[in-house]
Amino acid sequence: MNAFLQSTVYGLLQGGLLALVAVGFSLVWGVMNVINLAHGAFVVVGAYVAWQLNEWLGLDPFIAMFGSMAFLFVTGYLVQRLLVNLVVNAPVFITLLLTFGLDLLLTNGLIMIYSGNYRAINTSYALKSLALGGVRVPVGRLLGCLLAVACSLLLVSLMKRTRTGLAIAATGMDRGAARLMGIRARHIYALTFGIAAALAGLAGAMLATVGTFSPADASKYTLFSFVIAVLGGLGNMYGALAGGLLLGLVESWAGQYLSGTLVNAVAFGLLVLVLVARPAGLLGRPFYESRLEV
Amino acid sequence: MKVRTTTVAVTAVLALSLAACGSKGSRSTSGADQDQLTIGVSMSLTGSLAREGLLTRSGYEFCQQVINGKGGIPVGDRKVKLNLVFQDDTSSPDTAAQLIDQYNDKGYKLVLSPYGSAATEAAAAVVERNGQVMVDSLGADDTIFEKGYRRTFGVLSPGSEYAASIVEALHDLAKPTPKTVIFLSADDGFSKSVTTGGEKAARGLGMTVLPTQFFPNGASDVSAALSKAKALHPDVIIGSVHFVEGVAIIKQSKELGVRPQGFGETVAPPTPDFPQTLNELAEGVLGSSQWVSSGKGSDKWFGTSADYATAYKAKFGEDAQYHAASASAACLALVMAVEKAHSLQPDAVRDALASLDTPSFFGPIKFDPTGKNVTKQMSVIQIQHGEAVPVWPADVAQKPLIWPGAA
Repeated sequence: MNAFLQSTVYGLLQGGLLALVAVGFSLVWGVMNVINLAHGAFVVVGAYVAWQLNEWLGLDPFIAMFGSMAFLFVTGYLVQRLLVNLVVNAPVFITLLLTFGLDLLLTNGLIMIYSGNYRAINTSYALKSLALGGVRVPVGRLLGCLLAVACSLLLVSLMKRTRTGLAIAATGMDRGAARLMGIRARHIYALTFGIAAALAGLAGAMLATVGTFSPADASKYTLFSFVIAVLGGLGNMYGALAGGLLLGLVESWAGQYLSGTLVNAVAFGLLVLVLVARPAGLLGRPFYESRLEV
Repeated sequence: MKVRTTTVAVTAVLALSLAACGSKGSRSTSGADQDQLTIGVSMSLTGSLAREGLLTRSGYEFCQQVINGKGGIPVGDRKVKLNLVFQDDTSSPDTAAQLIDQYNDKGYKLVLSPYGSAATEAAAAVVERNGQVMVDSLGADDTIFEKGYRRTFGVLSPGSEYAASIVEALHDLAKPTPKTVIFLSADDGFSKSVTTGGEKAARGLGMTVLPTQFFPNGASDVSAALSKAKALHPDVIIGSVHFVEGVAIIKQSKELGVRPQGFGETVAPPTPDFPQTLNELAEGVLGSSQWVSSGKGSDKWFGTSADYATAYKAKFGEDAQYHAASASAACLALVMAVEKAHSLQPDAVRDALASLDTPSFFGPIKFDPTGKNVTKQMSVIQIQHGEAVPVWPADVAQKPLIWPGAA
């Protein structure tokens, strides 16, 4: 029983971190119909910015994460405005190619600058655990998971209660109609991309605090984001959170009760099952279903 | 307009013809002209193994510099300079195999291995088919040498020795002697070879081997394996892992309160990134290393291990690790074989490699009929005050083992 509780808690915490990684990816896909293959690279850039701020200024990663978010927001905004916007009307294959190229550029740029070494941000508290009965709750992961929940709530509130959020949602549903209503689609797209990149930066700072990172991790995070976005569904800001938590939980249980080598098979088996039962994903809206058919 | 189009077309055809002629010409030279021996290297310069690939390339480049700095390889009455050609395999074994094939098309019959067991295994099949010759620097999986290949030679100790050496070191040095050991292993071929070798050694030395826990290669979450290990209360946890899983074991053990007497891990602890990433958590962790700078043996090109370490640091500004040393040793074995064969022809070099029996800065180099270097012993290091310090075997040890080793 204790083992079950421990693996459940750890899986949820791990899932929260994964949700944080994926939430921006899901946002961009839902609003712009762009599958951003450079998302994992943004996560790693975020980790490097937080690590660099920690090295230079001794900033705690929970403060340095704001630096990561700011840097990635500006980067994301400019990348969309100056680059992705050029092909935003093109077939999805073209945007895939463009973002794949961007991913290669960022990943290999980081290898050139930082030599591909593995790094981590060490703090006095991240690896400590709270003991609840026989179950240990690691502090760093708990904070990361809480941040993921907070980000999802903030994003929902942004999308539902602010004019900017409503403009983002409207542009995602019907760009032509949104433009006729006076919404500047180019700006809204760039803003969405910027927000997504900032969230990736935040996730990067958290991952650097509880684990290690190197430029080679970028593709792993893109893959996780893709799976979680499909699992959770598009068009609902809680989708990534649900997808991430489910993936974390299933991976943790699979590791605990089956052979560890089957973890990936179980995780991807779950993806297939969800797609068969609910093609729009767990919380996805039917309108966005067609976007999964790429 | 038509004339211009025709001109362009004809020029293109001529250019292609000339290129084809050039390609044919080089093919007949076996990668060598009068003064230069070109050796093809497929290397992980980008992708998931870029870090290790760049270290390996440094070792190869250092070898080239040393050999050419001393005038080149004596072949009969002339001296031949080394010319290493690198191409990026993006850490993909399939690409590595294709590049080796392309080198063959260019006439490069002698090649040095890519980084890692998977890429080396893929390359070895192509080498055998093409009649090329490869010296393997960092592909340690025993299965590479169990396929009956005759043209691949590995200078490093095989994978089965990695964890076995840690087990032997603990048996020889640790007080109290650990009685139970559990292996946490990645599921790739190399890690499984390591685990099998370690389990066998532990049983042979009278330790109780608890059920091995596997996780996917490259996993950054090994919590499930650690939870299961925690319930079994092992004296020692040995990770048959790469860097990422190795760091995850130590970090997540702290999170989950897993506290054995000590940790051993195979390839992660000897790299400088390990103590830098983990700080004080790295203290006391044991690791196995193909090479340490206090090792015995020397050769005429690099001198002793200590000479190698000094010269490497002078060139690259950082301490040599076993990745680079192993790469230099593979290059050295090829150089020695060419010198011994008095020829650049692949068959002659292959035969010279098969009969090579020489000391070197890397340790003895002598291949068994399968191509494994079985005479070399691995060393065991322990992280002490942020440094990887050799503690076993006795002839290379610089400090005594600290035990219990867990921080």
